[in-house]
Amino acid sequence: MNNNQRSNSAVRVRGLRRTYGQGASAYEAVRGVDLDVPVGSITALLGTNGAGKTSILEVIEGLAPATAGEVGVLGLDPVADRAVLRRRTGILLQRSGFSGDLTVRETLRMWSATLTSPRSVDDMLALLSLEDRADVRMLALSGGETRRVDLACTLMGSPELVILDEPTTGLDPESRREVWQLVSGLRDGGATVLITTHYLEEAETLADRLEIMHAGRIVRSGTPTEIAVGHPSKISFANVPDVPDDLAEIRRVVHEHGRTTLETDRLQTSLSALLAWAAHNDVALDDLDARSPSLETVFLSIADGRDPADSAPREPLTDDEGALR
Amino acid sequence: MTALADRLSLRRTASLTRWNMVLLSRNRLALFYAAVMPLLPLALLLTGERGSASVGAGAIVTMFLVIALFPVYYNVLAQFVSRRDELVLKRMRTGETRDTELLASVALPGALIALVLSAVALPISVALGQSLPVNPLLYMALAVLAVIMFSAFAYWTAAWTKNAEAAQLTSMPIIILASLGPLTNSIPEMADRLRDVLSLTPGAALSDLVRIGWFGLDGPGAEQATLTFAETWGQAAGPLVVMAAWTYVAVVLARRSMRWEPRA
Repeated sequence: MNNNQRSNSAVRVRGLRRTYGQGASAYEAVRGVDLDVPVGSITALLGTNGAGKTSILEVIEGLAPATAGEVGVLGLDPVADRAVLRRRTGILLQRSGFSGDLTVRETLRMWSATLTSPRSVDDMLALLSLEDRADVRMLALSGGETRRVDLACTLMGSPELVILDEPTTGLDPESRREVWQLVSGLRDGGATVLITTHYLEEAETLADRLEIMHAGRIVRSGTPTEIAVGHPSKISFANVPDVPDDLAEIRRVVHEHGRTTLETDRLQTSLSALLAWAAHNDVALDDLDARSPSLETVFLSIADGRDPADSAPREPLTDDEGALR
Repeated sequence: MTALADRLSLRRTASLTRWNMVLLSRNRLALFYAAVMPLLPLALLLTGERGSASVGAGAIVTMFLVIALFPVYYNVLAQFVSRRDELVLKRMRTGETRDTELLASVALPGALIALVLSAVALPISVALGQSLPVNPLLYMALAVLAVIMFSAFAYWTAAWTKNAEAAQLTSMPIIILASLGPLTNSIPEMADRLRDVLSLTPGAALSDLVRIGWFGLDGPGAEQATLTFAETWGQAAGPLVVMAAWTYVAVVLARRSMRWEPRA
């Protein structure tokens, strides 16, 4: 990372490690992470459950100490400068709680009174479409409604840096889209957003930059397009055992789970060759599917512990769910 | 004062305290235990000889013990642990609220109830034939110290209390420690060595201070007020030191073992 990026980073993490427990039972959840969140961007930390996303956020949020490494948030120290940072950041925890006996409006009034310069409670109720539920006690809300109250608290102080830990987990598809709009709106209003998710669609739709995590490390960074570069395109169809493996530009052929999958760097060339071969030999390619590399294929191969762009796979490819959908 | 202002905003603390008060008032059972229970021992004033100092001391000591244990100790412990379980505390700590403000605002509703009850006990006792405290300042100091000490005990207990249910068990050591103390004054024939040990407990200090500060009683067996206002200060020094020492220990232990999230 060069100096220019450094000064433009709302969050800057270097060599972060986080270990739980001690001695033989110690578990390293974060294993040396570098991360930059450019000012004004939406940056998504994408990873399966247990990849270490929340462990990183907790350090950035100043809620937990790092075992090793440096963390700068808006140029400040998340623990030592907590009081100052809290005025400029909005945090949404993956799981958080509210007193069930207060109503939605009371909860927001209570939160509002803790802030230096809060937006009005009515504004927040409107922004999160909670007006109809304002006088309902928190314990009577659905999971999605509680999450919206949670978000209202996060955004009430007009934060310049917003940290959202899986904001849409447990939301129905409609609420999820509303949250996406809200998050895009934050960036358009000049805020920086760091978001974690295990939904690919969410990351792809929202994020300017992706940081893909696996087993405590960031294994890929960049825009969704950059990340897909280097991964093969795939052509698949119902199993044809005798398909030749020397067709134009084909890297490998896999027969598995009743399907044949061809990997290629030149989708059009290989597909043409395949179709020509099939026509010539009068072979039917049932359920034919051809696709360019997507974030999904990259993510799934990383999650499976095999990343073709990293090194040649040591074991045979398993069926690729991403290409089947 | 600036060091304190760095850690605590009065505006925020007052507001959070108000909401914690609202929450307490919506939990009828907790409110009854906190605000009504402690007054029940005053019924003891209806027994025995009207205006008797020993009867009065027994009633007020018991009331103070219940004040210390219910609105302060158990209430603060239960509120803090259940809010921690529900991740309310973790959520609050992601906002501008400081830790000191959270601790103060959870303890203050119980503290206010305790101080109000200590004051309400005065007219009730007088109406039932008792005299006013010999040393009102000492009585006030006792109420404030008891609140601080038992709040600190609550936070220390919370550190090793898994959840709100477990609090019923984990609170026992402090409840027993507090309840043993007054025996030094209610069992006159107790062996001196046992009395010396027991008088170092928080409950004994509390009991001694009520007897000295309000009733002017000189020593465990005394039944008549003999101490003057000036003399009460000298007699109170010992139990005040005991309370201050326990408070210090409780605060140090609580600070060292504070936990804001449920154990994973």
